[in-house]
Amino acid sequence: MIEALDVTVRLGSKTVLHDISLTARAGALTAIVGPNGSGKTTTMKALAGEIACDGRVLIGGEDIRSLKPWQLATRRAVLPQASVISFPFTVREIVRMGLTVGASTTRVGGTSADPGLADRIAREALDAVDLGGFAGRFYQELSGGEQQRVQLARALSQIWEPVRDGRPAFLLLDEPVSSLDIRHQLTIMRLAADYCRRGGGVVAIMHDLNLTAMFADQVVMMKEGRVVAAGAPQAIMTDGMMETVFGCPMRVSVPPPAGIPFVLPQTTMA
Amino acid sequence: MHPSNAVTGDIMAPDPRRVSPFAGLRADWAAGDRSRLARLLILVLVIVTSFAFGASVMTGAADASVGNLLRWLTGTETAEAALSLRDRIIILDIRLPRAVLGLLVGAALAVSGAVMQGLFRNPLADPGLVGVSAGAGLGAVLTIVLGASVFGPLFALVGIYALPVAAFLGALLTTFLLYRIATRGGQTSVATMLLAGVALAALAGAVTGVLIFVADDKQLRDLTFWGLGSLAGASWTKIAGAAPIILLSLAVVPFLARGLNALTLGEAAAFHMGVPVQRLKTVAVVTVAASTGAAVAVSGGIGFVGIVVPHVLRLLIGPDNRYLLPASALLGGTLLIVADMVARTIVPPAELPIGIITAFAGAPFFLWILLRGRTQMGL
Repeated sequence: MIEALDVTVRLGSKTVLHDISLTARAGALTAIVGPNGSGKTTTMKALAGEIACDGRVLIGGEDIRSLKPWQLATRRAVLPQASVISFPFTVREIVRMGLTVGASTTRVGGTSADPGLADRIAREALDAVDLGGFAGRFYQELSGGEQQRVQLARALSQIWEPVRDGRPAFLLLDEPVSSLDIRHQLTIMRLAADYCRRGGGVVAIMHDLNLTAMFADQVVMMKEGRVVAAGAPQAIMTDGMMETVFGCPMRVSVPPPAGIPFVLPQTTMA
Repeated sequence: MHPSNAVTGDIMAPDPRRVSPFAGLRADWAAGDRSRLARLLILVLVIVTSFAFGASVMTGAADASVGNLLRWLTGTETAEAALSLRDRIIILDIRLPRAVLGLLVGAALAVSGAVMQGLFRNPLADPGLVGVSAGAGLGAVLTIVLGASVFGPLFALVGIYALPVAAFLGALLTTFLLYRIATRGGQTSVATMLLAGVALAALAGAVTGVLIFVADDKQLRDLTFWGLGSLAGASWTKIAGAAPIILLSLAVVPFLARGLNALTLGEAAAFHMGVPVQRLKTVAVVTVAASTGAAVAVSGGIGFVGIVVPHVLRLLIGPDNRYLLPASALLGGTLLIVADMVARTIVPPAELPIGIITAFAGAPFFLWILLRGRTQMGL
């Protein structure tokens, strides 16, 4: 499990996160939602260990500050929002980076990489994000959505086994479906849910509230650098909470149980 | 079509008509793999470098014949019977140190360029760009102009080492300043470093300009020849000073390769993948300063090697630093040896400064790559 305990982050003189505490369990998909500028990405950076903060972040009970970069890399992988690269790497080479630098095929201490295994993992990771057959393409030639999926395959290969040596691994995804078409949004969310089902953990920053309700086991709602609410989507995604967090009145609806006809009057407006 | 497909067409983008129907997914997967090609190229470069080295030792204004040299080396004849004393001196004390120095300096310049480009995630970065070469140059110019008068006793003490030592110190001082300016709270900002480098280079250039202004005629001549770059002064003593620094730097560089690859995706992503980014940056910068300082000290201003060599190799084998760095060392060394052969045989018995050759060959070539690969470099 990843825990943030009273995490405060200041950028310059501005406090961006105020005493954030949250827990992301293994086996569960934790979605972080909130308006722009509410501190979602900063929270993710604090969880990843890449920015200095007050308070503590624990992964599997260990303070991330006590772990070396390569140790952290065996416990969590991160999908950034957007990546621009300046050298002509192929898709295959990018995905393989997660493996040569990371830990899936490397024993502790960095020895004994098995090239056959690395190839297999990287290929399966590309298949998992629906990019099988893209190995020989240049990353820079791909569309934004395809690049995002290559990066996800790279992060996924880094912690290919959801549970390793009895320790669950965590995928930290910053807007994993933001530039994807609807089919691939579902592909990626199912992939994340499957990673959780196999014992790993996923923390995802989400803007699509419907996908959040469909796939999240836990939702963390943020506003102005604070956690406003955390819990199961059914429990906290209410009309009142939506207005509090996003500042606009919305109706949260629940479809009726299966078998009962349902009429949408909006269809008369088409 | 991608620009570099033209060069590595069959490996990069297999023609669908030529791919076996049985290959299937396997072929698609192998498509993005350039490592076998890269290893092959490195092997070819080892052979080419050996040939260039041999040719350099055997070519020159004086006639020291290949057959005699081989007979002497293989022990079929004694040294005295095969080669005259004069020829042996030419080969052992003039041509051999030149070839060795060319190899070392070329490797140092090309690898420094490749490491800097990886560090700044910019294919146009070069030690020249961040002021390291300018700092080394200032050190050398200071020595030439003020050496005897201002640093009199010190000058006498270090003697022939004065110039290399000063250039090396200049490079290190510039790097140290750059680092102090660009590092805050344990984080080195690449953007700040790049801009500070431009400012430091301009400052070093201004001081150099003042020194040139006050220099006398003889000093001006020395300055000009040093600035053009040359391996003409190669000697075993120069090599003894530069080789340990360059070889040590080259030995460190392979350990940077994977980290530099990961750095392509950004510093945060590299950290996520387990790279100790701050340490990587520190080691890379010190390595580049040391090898560039040593190279500039013994050979003056030899330009374009650090930018052209990694570029050409990226077009051939891709940007994977695990292969790019050793290949750069080999091609850089070969290039400089060949350029030096041209420099000393084109107008015999006189010699052109090698920097003129590399600039004549390198600058148009660089422009050509730039225009051809604009989209690929994101310019």
